[in-house]
Amino acid sequence: MKGIKFVVALTITIALTWALNRGWDFGDPIPPLGKFLDPFHGFWANAEPPVTYDYALRIPGLKDKVSVVYDSLLIPHLFANNDDDLYRVMGYVTAQHRLWQMEFQTHAAAGRISEIIGNKALDFDRNQRRLGMVYGAQNSTLAHSKDSVINRMNQQYTEGVNAYIQSLKYQDYPLEYKLLDYEPELWNDLKMGLLLKNMSKTLNFGENDFEMTNALNLFGKATLDILFPDWEAVGDPIVDNPGGWKFPPIQLDSVPLALPDQLVNITPTQKAVKGVGSNNWAVSGIKTATGSPILSNDPHLSLSMPSIWFAAHMQSPHVNVMGVTFTGAPVIILGFNDSISWGATNAQRDLVDWYKIEFKDATRNEYLSDGNWLPTKKVVEQFIVKGKDPFYDTVVYTHHGPIVYDASFHGDSEKNAYAFRWIAHDESLELKTFYLLNRAKSHRDYMAALDYFSGPAQNFAFASTAGDIAIRIQGKYPVRRKGEGKFVLDGTKTSNEWQAYIPPAHNIMIKNPARGFVSSANQYPVDPTYPYYVHSNNYEAYRNRRINRQLSAMDEITPVDMMKFQNDNYNIQAEESLPYLLKLLDSAALTAEGRKVFELLKSWDFVNSASSVAATYYEVWYNTLYRNIWDEMTNSTASLSLPSDYTTIHLMKTDTLLSFYDVQSTPEKEDLKTLVRQAYAASMDRINTWKIENEKEPQWAWFKNTSVGHLLRIPPFGYHVENGGNGSAINATTGSHGPSWRLVASMEKTGVKAWGVYPGGQSGNQGSRFYNNLLTPWAEGRYFRLKFPHTEKETAPYRYYTTTFNSIQQ
Amino acid sequence: MRFIIQVVITAIVCFMFQKLFPWWTMAIGAFLVGFVFSNTGFKSFLAGFLAIGLLWLGMALFIDNVTQSILTEKIGQLFPLNLFVLTSLVGGLVGGFASMTGSLLKP
Repeated sequence: MKGIKFVVALTITIALTWALNRGWDFGDPIPPLGKFLDPFHGFWANAEPPVTYDYALRIPGLKDKVSVVYDSLLIPHLFANNDDDLYRVMGYVTAQHRLWQMEFQTHAAAGRISEIIGNKALDFDRNQRRLGMVYGAQNSTLAHSKDSVINRMNQQYTEGVNAYIQSLKYQDYPLEYKLLDYEPELWNDLKMGLLLKNMSKTLNFGENDFEMTNALNLFGKATLDILFPDWEAVGDPIVDNPGGWKFPPIQLDSVPLALPDQLVNITPTQKAVKGVGSNNWAVSGIKTATGSPILSNDPHLSLSMPSIWFAAHMQSPHVNVMGVTFTGAPVIILGFNDSISWGATNAQRDLVDWYKIEFKDATRNEYLSDGNWLPTKKVVEQFIVKGKDPFYDTVVYTHHGPIVYDASFHGDSEKNAYAFRWIAHDESLELKTFYLLNRAKSHRDYMAALDYFSGPAQNFAFASTAGDIAIRIQGKYPVRRKGEGKFVLDGTKTSNEWQAYIPPAHNIMIKNPARGFVSSANQYPVDPTYPYYVHSNNYEAYRNRRINRQLSAMDEITPVDMMKFQNDNYNIQAEESLPYLLKLLDSAALTAEGRKVFELLKSWDFVNSASSVAATYYEVWYNTLYRNIWDEMTNSTASLSLPSDYTTIHLMKTDTLLSFYDVQSTPEKEDLKTLVRQAYAASMDRINTWKIENEKEPQWAWFKNTSVGHLLRIPPFGYHVENGGNGSAINATTGSHGPSWRLVASMEKTGVKAWGVYPGGQSGNQGSRFYNNLLTPWAEGRYFRLKFPHTEKETAPYRYYTTTFNSIQQ
Repeated sequence: MRFIIQVVITAIVCFMFQKLFPWWTMAIGAFLVGFVFSNTGFKSFLAGFLAIGLLWLGMALFIDNVTQSILTEKIGQLFPLNLFVLTSLVGGLVGGFASMTGSLLKP
C-alpha cells in the first residue's frame, strides 16, 4: 500500500516539476512558472537595488586594464589604453545593458522571430528573407572582412559581447529570455550586417513603385503628375547653390521611358508610415553668442522600449568620441569628438527598384534578359517555428535581386513576378564611415569618411571647433534618366538597369554657405541646376521651412535656444490650411457647439502644444477630410499611396473642381465645401465620443497619447507620454514616432559642450531605474549635459560606479 | 515540535540547494528531509509546502523591499493572481509533494 502511495506521490512530484519547468501556450504563452517565479534565479533576480558598487571583472583577450566609469545617467565612459581593448569592452558593456535587444533586432532582420514567438511571426519572417535581408547582410560581412581595420574592430567587439554571453547563468538572463523561455546565442559579424540592413529597411525600403504604377494605370499620367509631382514647388532645398555644380555629369544613353501598362496585384506587407523623418542643422559662429558653431540633430523613428539608441563615451589614445550608437555597433553613430560633431537625417532618395520579370515557364528556372534566357538561383529558406515543424520557403533570385512576391506570398500569380533591386543588397562599408567620423579632426576627414557610406542615404550635417559647418547628402545613387525609378521597370531589358553610380564628388554638398547655417529636414535636396535626376516618394514640406525661417532670423544663438527650437511645436501645415478651411465652413449654419469650436480654432496660434485643445480639433478635422478626399485610393483593391499633405492642401486651394472630392460610396455628388463641412461634423462626433470614453478635455497630448511600447508589445514594459508635437512640427512627435535622440553640441575651441536626451534609458532591464529614467525629461523637452571628460580622474564629481576590466592572466 | 523542526530544516537545506543549483533541486532537498523525518504523508506535505512556500515568499519579499518593488508591479500585471501568492504557491506545491514523496519512501 505504502509502495503505491510512494509511486503516486513520486509521479505527481516529477510531473509537477516538469510542467513548471517548461513554457506552455494556451493561446497566450505562459512562461515556465517554477523557473520564472523562483526568487533565486527567476524574474525576481532581475530586480536591481538602487545602490551599486564598484566591481572588477576579468575577461579573456584583453591586453591591458580598461576602466568603465558610469555617470549619473548610466552612460559608460570607457577609458582604454589601446583600440582593441576599447572595442572589446564596448561589446561587453553594450551586451551587459542591452543584450536581449541586440539579439532580438538582428533576429528580426534575419527573419527569425518565429523561433521565439511561433507561427504568428511567420509572414513577417518570410518577408524579411524574401527581401534579401540576410543576403544583404552577408555582403556587408564580406565587405567588413576585406577591410583589415573594420574586421579587427568587429572581431574585438564580437569577442567582447561573447565574453559577456558566456559568463551568463539563467539567473542573469535579461527578462525577455525568461518570459519567452529561450537562450541567447553567440554574437557574430553577420549580426552587425543585419543591424545595418534593419536600419536600411526602416529608412529606405518602399513599395512605392507598385503604388505609383497602379496610380498611373487607374488615373492616367496627367492626374498622376498633379497628385504626385516630382517636386512640390515649396520650401528651400537642403543645398541651394545655383550654378555651383561645376563637374561634367555622367550621361546615360537615352532610352525612351516605357511606362508600365498593368496593375500590380500585390497585397502590401507594409504601408509607409508617416513620421519617419528627422531634423539637423548647424549654425556658424557668426550667428552664435560664443562665436563657435552649434550643431543640432534629432532623428525621428518609431519610439520603443528599450530605446534604439545607447549612449556611450569611448576613449583610447587614438580616439575620444561620445554620442549614441545602435546596440550592436562598435562605433558611435551620431555624436561628437574633440574637434567635430555630426548628425544625420534621412535623405529619402529612391534606392529601391522593382523589375518585372518574364519567366520561361512555371518552373521559374529561366528568365528573359535582352533576348537571352538566364538561369535563376533558388534558395531554400528554413524557418524554425516555436511549437511547430520547420517551414520551408523557396526564394527565386535573379541578377536584379530576389523575387519577393509570388503566388505563395502576397502575390496573385507566378506570372506577376517582380525582382527587388536595393542598394542595401550590395557590399558596403558603412561602419568604416562611422569609424572614421569618430576620429575625424577636420572637414576634410569628415569628407573622406563619408565616401564609404552607400545607404540608407543620409543628410550628414557637420560642425567643427575650427569654425566650419557643412552638409552633405551621402549615399550611393544610381544615375537615372528623368522619371526612371518612379514606376516598376521592365526587367527584360538591361538598359533599364543601374548603369552607373553618381561619383561621391558629384553628390550634393555645401560648406560654410553665406546664410550662416546648414539644415535638413527630409525635404527636396537641391536647386534645379543640379545635373542629376533626383527622385523620392515623400519629400517633407513643412518642418524645413519652419527651421529655415527661424534660423535665418535668429542671432546670438545659444545652446539653450537650440534646445527650445528642437521642441518647437509650431504647425505650418495648420497655418496654411486652417484659415482656408474655416472660410469654407458656413459659420451661420453651425450648431452651438460647432460655433464654439469655430471660435476656438479661429483664435488658435497654430502651436501643437501639449495642452492645446484647438490642435486636437484641427488634427481630427483635417485628417478626416484628408481621408474622405482620397477615398478613391483607400477603397481601391489595388495598392495605392495617398498624396502628401502639402499637395492635398495646395489642391484644395487651387482646384475646387477636382473629381476626387466626390465620395464614391454615396449617390450624391460632393464638392469640397460639402466635404469640409461633413468632416467638421464628423470630427466633432469623434472628439465627443473620445471625451465620454476618457472623461477629460481633449488636450492634444492626451488625445495624441504618444505610445512608447516595448519591442515585444508587452504592455507593462511600455509607456505613454504626454507631450506636444506633430509630424509637420520640428518636435515631430506623433502617436508612435518622434525624435529618438536630441543632441545640441556647441563646438567651442576651449572644449566641446554637448547636451542630449532620448526617450528611454540606458538599461534594457525593466528591473532597473535606468530603464525609463530619460523618458519624462525627453517628453518635457529637458536635456542633460553630456559629460565629456578627458581623463578618468575628471569623472569624480559625477561618478556613479566603476567597472574595471582586467585580462585573464595566463 | 518535530514538525516545526522539519519545516525549518527543509527551508535551510533548500535555501542552500537553490543558492547553488537550479530551482527544481529544492525538490530533491525537500524529498531528502522528508525521508529523514518520515512524518505521515499529509504532515510531510504540509511541512514541505510551508517550508518552500515561506522560503520563496520571504526571498521574494526581501527582493521586493530592497529593490523598491521595481519589477513586482510590472510583472504582476502579467498574471491574474497576486505575485507573492503565486510565487509561494508554486514553490510550496513542489516542496510539499517532494517532501511527501520522501516520507512515503520509508517502509
